[in-house]
Amino acid sequence: MTVLPETAPASGPGDSGADAIAGLTSDLARASLALARRFFAGGTMWCASPAWPFHSHHVAVEFVHPVIMGKRALPAVAVPADEDLVATLRTTARTGDMVVAVAGADDAAVAAAMRRGDAWGVETVWIGAGPRPAPGAAKHVLWLPTDDPLQASEQFVRMYHLLWELTHVCFEHQGLLSADDCLDDVCITCSDEGRPAEVLSIDGDEAVVRTAEGRERIDTSIIDTPRPGDLLLVHAGSAITNLDAA
Amino acid sequence: MSPEASDFLYPFIERGESDAGSLLVDLAESAQGKWEQSARLRVDTLAALAPQLAAAGSAMAERFAAGGQLFAFGNGGSSTDADAFARLCTRPPWGEPVPARSLAFDQAVLTAIANDVGFEIVFSRQLIAYGRPGDIAIGFSTSGNSDNLMAAFGEATRRGMLTVGLAGYDGGRMGASDDVAHCLTVRSDSVHRIQEAQAAVAHALWDALQTQLRQKGAA
Repeated sequence: MTVLPETAPASGPGDSGADAIAGLTSDLARASLALARRFFAGGTMWCASPAWPFHSHHVAVEFVHPVIMGKRALPAVAVPADEDLVATLRTTARTGDMVVAVAGADDAAVAAAMRRGDAWGVETVWIGAGPRPAPGAAKHVLWLPTDDPLQASEQFVRMYHLLWELTHVCFEHQGLLSADDCLDDVCITCSDEGRPAEVLSIDGDEAVVRTAEGRERIDTSIIDTPRPGDLLLVHAGSAITNLDAA
Repeated sequence: MSPEASDFLYPFIERGESDAGSLLVDLAESAQGKWEQSARLRVDTLAALAPQLAAAGSAMAERFAAGGQLFAFGNGGSSTDADAFARLCTRPPWGEPVPARSLAFDQAVLTAIANDVGFEIVFSRQLIAYGRPGDIAIGFSTSGNSDNLMAAFGEATRRGMLTVGLAGYDGGRMGASDDVAHCLTVRSDSVHRIQEAQAAVAHALWDALQTQLRQKGAA
């Protein structure tokens, strides 16, 4: 079958993407266990795909109303594509929730939401393809090598179907779901270095911030006055660094 | 995995860690197997459906060339496939945009029809309002059995629309119905694998459509 137009990338129906998952399966496994733990603890999954809203709706319906009878309904919500993603999640996502995005590395709204994950106390999963986002752009970066937008879209469906399947496999191992051990080499919530916080409002030398513990009033006198939306590091009730300082 | 020499010192902790570790290994192997299974089904399905894809793409191109528009529909995950296909038609990454809409998109219309009459006519009722002879109705279902899709295909056929269906398993009611002129069936009994292959079938159908549109444009 030779139906691809000249303008299409040089791949076709014979290119199944069979190798695309190589090296990705352990990331997928860790992301699934992390999601299962969050769901088990009562968290809600927020699904975002500003450029491809159908993906966010597909992810959400997969978890809410599983196609396999008898699997539990899990709380997953698609964030409407026309909403300000960061503003919506800042208000509605609670500590212990999850944000799963399907988006390219150049999606500024998704990048902004993902980098607030630790400040909001949410688990972040970023699914994409092509050029990768910066290292550490999300807790779990599940990235596919293809540059073909249609193949990428097909493989995203495989990826989140697997995420759903593996999350439910984890539910069969409930002894591991409440485990408190960090899956990562560096765990910010366990360290004593400084907790990430997002500035909500400024009040003189103080600021109200969102952290993994909720809303807090902190002292900002030892840094330059931050702006709402800035990410800070907080130690012992004081902002010690503004990560967004010019 | 062979036990570490220090296991006897911290039996509880080590067991806890290796349990999570072995689960992660199992999950990764399961993911690998299912991904490869999905990739094989994609290749086999596109090969098996090649003549039908070409025929459906050609029939769709004729309708578009004559001024027709396309309506896509489905339930649940398949409704998102319908959204994706309508979006691919109107905002393609390359090729020619063609007019298309997803009938699962408007919550006011959907809930009005479902509340006042019933969910089995949510798509057929919209085709009565929007559909014209020469238009195209494309429905996505993994089972091939959804009542509201069968109602929509019946209505579309009565109105002189071209009907295209994506189904799974053995095609179900869609595969056996005269109301579905082109039924593209993914032969699998896993809903997830069917849906993954249907995404590829939809893209190949769009490719076939674009090829035909180009040839008509050049002619």
